[in-house]
Amino acid sequence: MIAAIRRPDPAILLFAAVAVVLVLLVVMPIGWLAWYSVTDAAGHITGANFAKLVIDPAMRKPLVVTLEIAVAAALGACIVAVPLAWLVSRTDLPYRGVIRALVTASFVTPPFLGAVAWELLAAPNSGILNQWGRALFGLDDYDYVVDIYTVEGVAFCIACYAFPYVFTVMANALDNIPSDLDEASHILGGGAFHTLRRITLPLILPAILAGTLVAFLQALTIFGTPAILALPSGFHTLTTKIWSLFQVPPQPNLAAAAALPMLLVTLLVLQLQRWLLGRRSYVVVGGKNGPPKRLRLRAWRWPAFLFCLFIMLFPIFLPYGALVKAAIVRNISDPLSWATLSASHLHFILWEFSGTRDAMVNTLLLGIGSATVVTFIALVVGYLAHRQLVPGHRLLPVLAMAPIAIPGIVMGVGLFLVYTRPPFLLYGTLGILLVAFITLEMPAGFQQVQAAMRGLHVELEEASRIFGATRLQALRQITAPLLRTTIIATWSIVFIGVIRELSATILLTTSNTKVISVVIYDLNESGELGALSVLGLFLLVVTFAIVLLVNRLPILGGRGIST
Amino acid sequence: MASVELRGIRKSYGKLVVADGIDLSIEHGELVCLLGPSGCGKTTTLRLIAGFIVPDQGEIVVGGTRLSGPGRALPPEQRNMSMIFQSYALWPHMTVAENVGYGLGLRKLPRAEIARKVAAMLGIAKLEKLADRYPGELSGGQQQRVALARALAVEPQTLLLDEPLSNLDTNLREEMRFEIRRLHDAFGYTTVYVTHDQLEAMTTADRIVVMNAGAVEQIGSPEDIFLRPVSEFVARFIGGTNILRGAIRGSVIQAGPLLLRWGLGTPGHGLEASISIRPHEVELTTAPQDGPNCFAATVLRHTYIGAQRDYLLDLGGDIHVRAVTALEQHFAPGDEIGVRLPQGRCRALAR
Repeated sequence: MIAAIRRPDPAILLFAAVAVVLVLLVVMPIGWLAWYSVTDAAGHITGANFAKLVIDPAMRKPLVVTLEIAVAAALGACIVAVPLAWLVSRTDLPYRGVIRALVTASFVTPPFLGAVAWELLAAPNSGILNQWGRALFGLDDYDYVVDIYTVEGVAFCIACYAFPYVFTVMANALDNIPSDLDEASHILGGGAFHTLRRITLPLILPAILAGTLVAFLQALTIFGTPAILALPSGFHTLTTKIWSLFQVPPQPNLAAAAALPMLLVTLLVLQLQRWLLGRRSYVVVGGKNGPPKRLRLRAWRWPAFLFCLFIMLFPIFLPYGALVKAAIVRNISDPLSWATLSASHLHFILWEFSGTRDAMVNTLLLGIGSATVVTFIALVVGYLAHRQLVPGHRLLPVLAMAPIAIPGIVMGVGLFLVYTRPPFLLYGTLGILLVAFITLEMPAGFQQVQAAMRGLHVELEEASRIFGATRLQALRQITAPLLRTTIIATWSIVFIGVIRELSATILLTTSNTKVISVVIYDLNESGELGALSVLGLFLLVVTFAIVLLVNRLPILGGRGIST
Repeated sequence: MASVELRGIRKSYGKLVVADGIDLSIEHGELVCLLGPSGCGKTTTLRLIAGFIVPDQGEIVVGGTRLSGPGRALPPEQRNMSMIFQSYALWPHMTVAENVGYGLGLRKLPRAEIARKVAAMLGIAKLEKLADRYPGELSGGQQQRVALARALAVEPQTLLLDEPLSNLDTNLREEMRFEIRRLHDAFGYTTVYVTHDQLEAMTTADRIVVMNAGAVEQIGSPEDIFLRPVSEFVARFIGGTNILRGAIRGSVIQAGPLLLRWGLGTPGHGLEASISIRPHEVELTTAPQDGPNCFAATVLRHTYIGAQRDYLLDLGGDIHVRAVTALEQHFAPGDEIGVRLPQGRCRALAR
């Protein structure tokens, strides 16, 4: 009579496997990092590494410079992003979609590419802007208007590609504040300005702060921009200093000690950000909300639009223009004219330069590999956690999200330490880069999947079971088709993240395992800026193509990435 | 035969006990409503029957076959049951016809037969014209009918309904109530119906199972439940009532200053007991009268509710009673009047 037997759920085995993988990915590098930071080269416990951070001027100065840059860049990003987000999401600004698209473009532009472009624009001698300035103001040959190789220059260039973080958080907040709240203020006698000051601003202040904190973290942990703009004029930030500690003779213990504070600051700032955004939840309290009513700018519509375009000069129009110019003229100093046009850089990159093909193949392999693995793990974790199928299901999302607190360069140091020793000898192979990308991109991928899972009612799958489908049949016939767009979006987002990564890559790459971002960095070192521009533009085209594809997808419960 | 029997079912999540020893026996072809406030364990019970939840203790036997036991359960797909979900759970990527035909496809029926059965089912549910629409393009009532058609297409032995009408507006709800009963009678399967709406339960069920705090409070026909509640909880939850608590003094109950006689039910074995009397059974007079269960009262509140009047009365000693009377009986707040709680209507409750 007894028909009912349920064997141990295979979900439990899967859970265990995924948990082990996540622990290996996250815990091992951080563990080794911590161990190295408190030991010396011989393996004895010591506090000397941390002492050196504080005492040695060669270490202390980068620390100060980094903080200066991070604060300046975050403030700059905030000052630009706040009016921009307000105009786009709360007023009848013309071509709001275009402005949002341009912000998205800044968002996905690899910062190191932007830094190179600004080299082309604002290097003291050859910079295009300085050439224009000399012609315009009649200056001498060696005078210049702007110099990008300065602390201010680095901060500016970082801000150019960090402001979308502030913009996105703030625009989301503004989009979600119901217009009733403004209207309630109007009906009680508050004018437009009064309402902005007393109602709208206080409501979105946490969002502004939270976005600015993210920009601060970006500026703090970025490697590409300072490596390209600070090193030539002989100063270091913390990230470039860590990188230099891996040059000959390598000092991994000191590097570990230098990386650890960055991890701690990141953890702190993320906690602060969560607290700020968590408190914001009172925004959505209340009954039915209408769509936000847009403020009418009247005569200010077009000036406001021009203001937005002006801001977009700096992250988009000027840099992209400089890259295109450098890509199509024969010599970098040539003016743009029919006579100087040349396909030599294109030819060089495509046919002559041996590094291109390998780098492209490597990038493609790593991109596809990481995107596939991350999507798979994110789906499994999202499913197990959402369906609460296994004991300890709350632990998995925490593990999957943990790398969000690990800056690329810190992960690079940690992975270097783990995988240059037995039993995991991965250094020098693509494997170590694969591990790095999977870990670094896991949070982004998992966030996508989690959002989709929340929009997917459990009963949809249960309905399939009760009508006779096994769990696997239900997954195949119901859940998988409903998650299809999410899967594509997640995969694409990870792919984009991988092809633009430089901070961790630079520490883990070797001459056999170059990827496009590293080749671009190398080409900058050797001064091949024309060829670099061709490769950079290629990277941008691929990125934009993927972004366009993703934004066309009708994603369940979301609107694609970023803005 | 698909009788459904639950024997001593217990289920808890950590310290939270969601099913606390449920015993329930449902005849083949019966329509039983699980009724109770939210969190009483009725949906858990339904999901235990469906096999989505594995009991910690006890067993579930359907048609003589044990489907669930402690720590083990036959998976839902092998139970030959069918279910209508609160959210309807229509698959948004399938058309109405595909939704309805899904279960038949899993049963490996020939294509032509599936098409025939789907068409017949769509006819019964009056959905022929919507066969190629997607669920997102349907109104709430239409979605509800698709869910019904999908559940019935597989010709289940047992149909489970989880608050199927809670997302519909009042008119549609009434119509669907009768529809569910009609289809049940036409197809003759066993139905377990979860609801928190007593009217819904009263009008559709053969028997009602009132649940509270993970346990069965009372099982009986709608009349049983309404006229002969066994506990304070049931009396309050079904129809609303006045509860007067007091100490047992032989054949009367002393509630505050009042001595109450009862004509129905039996009090429990303790020293304390409760008397239940429904508001519409309370009689009001212009002046206090002599006789058993007659008291003086002050009108605290008067509410006009269309065909009747609703009074809140103060009987002294902190005892308040609600009365619903005919329109002719009109008193104003502050009036000193007489109240009679007819002995034949006063029910002593064991719990």
